[in-house]
Amino acid sequence: MTSLNHETVNGTLVLKPSRRIDSSTAKAFEDDAAALLDKGPKKVVIDATDLDYISSAGLRVILTTAKKAKAAGGGLTIACAKNNVKEVLAVSGFDNIFGLHDSVAQAISALA
Amino acid sequence: MTGRLDMSLANDIQEVARVIDSLEEFGAENGIPPGQSLRFGLALDELITNIISYGLAGRSDGIISLAIEHRDGALRAQLDDNGPPFDPLAADPTPPAGDIETRAVGGLGLTLVKSFMDRLDYRRADGLNRVTMEMKVKAA
Repeated sequence: MTSLNHETVNGTLVLKPSRRIDSSTAKAFEDDAAALLDKGPKKVVIDATDLDYISSAGLRVILTTAKKAKAAGGGLTIACAKNNVKEVLAVSGFDNIFGLHDSVAQAISALA
Repeated sequence: MTGRLDMSLANDIQEVARVIDSLEEFGAENGIPPGQSLRFGLALDELITNIISYGLAGRSDGIISLAIEHRDGALRAQLDDNGPPFDPLAADPTPPAGDIETRAVGGLGLTLVKSFMDRLDYRRADGLNRVTMEMKVKAA
């Protein structure tokens, strides 16, 4: 069982991490995301509505999750990031690599 | 408003969560906007994660101590560890380039630290690495 909040919307896996992805929680996120992707979905949206904090360990597991999705023929994008999280994504260049969207619906459309 | 927080950390990655929790609490007590506390916490997280994952990896005699201070509109921290000499300022601050397939996984932590801190200093003395850093607190 995964503790990572998630749902599948029209075949797209929407992951909703809460509070923080830091070096103490990143491994659990990575393992949960990998297990969910193994069930078939190829497209992933990170819904960052409930995410207050992300460190480089968090960026790393988003990147590994994106690589897994891409290898399966899909992709990954990010929705609803708060300012703190946006700032980290901008410094790392992840905003350009994955794209940031104001809503989950927009993010799902972007992957279509 | 001034305040001080001293912590002695175990050589365990779970300590990172305790540091961020403590900093959020410290920030609230000191009237610091939550986003600013988390920004400062992120820099500490990255440095402590490096110490635990690399410098002190596999060591049972690891020592990490942290002192945080809020004074004159700035957050300051002093972080000591007894790992091998490592100067985080000497590491390459350029974010790794590339798209999803080619991008290296890692190397971003110190880029974030350097980007978010207004001052960052390193010295090696008495067998310890000592990083001191400062971030001016901006209004919410």
